[in-house]
Amino acid sequence: MKDQMRGNAQSRTWIEAPRKQSMLMHPIIFIAAFTLLGTLFAAQEWHHAHKSGFEIGAGIIFGSWGLQYFLWGVISWLLWWRFRPFIQNASAVRILTIVVPLSFVTYFFEDMIWVVFFPDVPMNRAPMPYWERVSYNYWGDLTESMCIFWGAFFFFRGMGYYHQFREKETAAAQLEVQLANAKIAALRMQLNPHFLFNTMNSISSLMRDDPDAADSMLEQLSSLLRMTLERRDIQLIPLHEEIEFTETYLAMQDRRYMGRVTRTLSVDPDLYDALVPAMILQPIIENAYVHGLSKLDRGGELSIEVRQEGQQVNALITNSGVGLKARPGALPNGYGVGLANVTNRLRLHYGNDCTFSIREVDGLCVQVSIAFPVELAKNSGESETRFGA
Amino acid sequence: MIHAVVADDEVLARQKLRQLLRDEQDIEIVGESATALETIELVRTVSPELLFLDIQMPGMDGFDVLGALTNQKETPAPQVIFTTAFDQYAVRAFEVNAVDYLLKPFTHERLRAAIQRIREQPETAPRDSSSENGSGQGPDGYTNRIVFKSRGRILFLSVSDIRWIGAEGNYVRLSTATENHLLRETMAHVEERLDPRDFLRVHRSFIVNLKYVKEVRRETDGDSVVIMDNGQKVALGRSFRSSLKLQLNRL
Repeated sequence: MKDQMRGNAQSRTWIEAPRKQSMLMHPIIFIAAFTLLGTLFAAQEWHHAHKSGFEIGAGIIFGSWGLQYFLWGVISWLLWWRFRPFIQNASAVRILTIVVPLSFVTYFFEDMIWVVFFPDVPMNRAPMPYWERVSYNYWGDLTESMCIFWGAFFFFRGMGYYHQFREKETAAAQLEVQLANAKIAALRMQLNPHFLFNTMNSISSLMRDDPDAADSMLEQLSSLLRMTLERRDIQLIPLHEEIEFTETYLAMQDRRYMGRVTRTLSVDPDLYDALVPAMILQPIIENAYVHGLSKLDRGGELSIEVRQEGQQVNALITNSGVGLKARPGALPNGYGVGLANVTNRLRLHYGNDCTFSIREVDGLCVQVSIAFPVELAKNSGESETRFGA
Repeated sequence: MIHAVVADDEVLARQKLRQLLRDEQDIEIVGESATALETIELVRTVSPELLFLDIQMPGMDGFDVLGALTNQKETPAPQVIFTTAFDQYAVRAFEVNAVDYLLKPFTHERLRAAIQRIREQPETAPRDSSSENGSGQGPDGYTNRIVFKSRGRILFLSVSDIRWIGAEGNYVRLSTATENHLLRETMAHVEERLDPRDFLRVHRSFIVNLKYVKEVRRETDGDSVVIMDNGQKVALGRSFRSSLKLQLNRL
C-alpha cells in the first residue's frame, strides 16, 4: 500500500487505484481461519475432558467444533461477499429490523446443516428425531452462535471504516502532492522572470557598444530557455543537466563581470546521474554574485563543488565578498527571496531529509551548503549522440 | 567564390544572414526565397554551392526541399546549412548530410564556424545526401563527425577538432580548443569509432588526438603526462607509454 501511494504521488495524472481487497477476505483463507478457531476450541475442550476423566472420542469433538466453525466461516463469507455494502453502511434501525432477525435465521440454517452430520449428539440421551435435535442444539448453542455472527458482522463493519479511512488518507496525500507541485511551479516561475529580465536588460545595454557580445548573450539566453522549456514541468533532473545549465549561466555572468571573477566548478562524476531539483543552484549562485562578488572591484572568487557525502549529495557554493554582516534587509527566515525559495523547494522534495546552511568562512567569504539524498536517474541510458551513420 | 542561396520565410531572418555574410569575402548571395517551391526553383536555376535552409516554411519543409533537390539529376545538390528555431530535427539533418545546424538565434561566430566547415569540404566531396555511405563516416568506417546536444545547443562536431577525451563516471568529456562537452557514452564505444591513426588511448581514462600532442614529459613525481599544444596535460598510463612513443615516431 505504501509503495502504491508513492507511485501515485509521482505520476501527475493520479487515477484512483482499484479498491484492493485484503488477503484475509480471500474465501479460502477466511474460512480456514474460522475452521482453525473451531479446532482450537475443540483442542481446549478435549484437553479439559481428558484431564477431568471423561472418555470422549477426539473425532467427535474436533469434528463437531470444526464443522460448526467451518459452516460459520462459509456463511459469514457468503454474507460479506453478497451484502458487503449493506453490512458496512446499515443504520442502527436497519440493524435492529433486518440484521437481528437475520442472525436468528442464519443460525437456524447453520444448525439444520450441522445436525445432519452429528445424529448422535446430544450424547448420553435417547435418540431423538431430526427436528427435535435441531431445536435442542439451537437453544443450547444460541449464545455462542450469536457471538460468532455478531463478531463477524462488526468485523466487516470495522473493515468498512478502515477502508474509508484509508481512502480519505490517500486523497489527502494526493492533495498534498498536487499542492506541492503547484507551489514548486510557482516558485520556479518566480525565479525565471527575474533572471530573464535582468539578462534582457544586459543585452539591451550591450547592443549599442558591443553588438557581438549582445549577440552571444542572446544565444546563451536562448540556450538557457531551451534547456528550461525542454524539461517542461519535470522537477527533478540529472545533475549533469543542472551543471550544463549552470555552466551557461556562469558564462553569461562572466560577460557581465568581465574578468572580475575567477571561478572553479568541480563535480564528482559519479553524481552526474543523480537527480537534483531543477535550477536549484542558479539562485544560490546568483545570490553569490549579487551580495558578494558584485561588491568587489576585482579578484572575486567563486567556487562550486558538488560531492557525495555518505548517502547525500552535497553542493558547496563559496564566494569571496563582504561576509554576511554587511547584508542589510535580510528576510526574517534568512537570506532573501532566492535562497528562501531554495530551502522551500528542498523541503517540498525531501521533507526533513535535507539541509541548507549559509555561513561565513575565512572572514569575508560566504559559503552556502545544501545536501539532499542521492537518488540516481533510472532512465538516463538513452544517448542522443550519433556517430556518423 | 561560393555562391549561396538563403531560404527562409522570414524577412528579418534573411536580412540577418545577408548582413553577416557581407563580411565573408568568398561568399556571394545569389538569391533568396521564402517558400519551399521558390527555393527548389531558385536552386535549379542558379545551382549554388551552398544553401541556407530554414526547416519550417510554407508548403513543404526543409527536408522535402532537400529531397526534391537530390532526386533530380540536372544540377548537383548544394551543401546545406540548416537554420531553424527547432532543435528536434538535428539528428535528421545530420543523417541527410547537412554541413551544419544553426539554432536561431545564432551568433556571427557560430555562422563563421559553419562557413569554415563549407570551405574545408573537399571540392570532390560527394554532393548527394542519399549517399549509401551514410553521413559523417570516413571511407574506412571511422566516424569523422558527431552530433550531440550540449548546453541547449546542437553541435555537429568534427572529430578532428577534439583535443582529448576523458572518462568521467558514466560519461565521457570531449575537449576541443575552446570548450568541453559531456556525453553519456563509454570510452570503449567512442574509441572503437575513432580512427586509431589519429586517436590513441594513453590512459585507462584518456584518449588523445595525436595531431595536438606537443610532447611527452615525465613529471617530478615520476608520473608521465602528455602535453597538448594548448598546454593542457593529460595523464599517461604506464602501459600505454610504448604505444604512444611508437605512434609519435611514426608522425
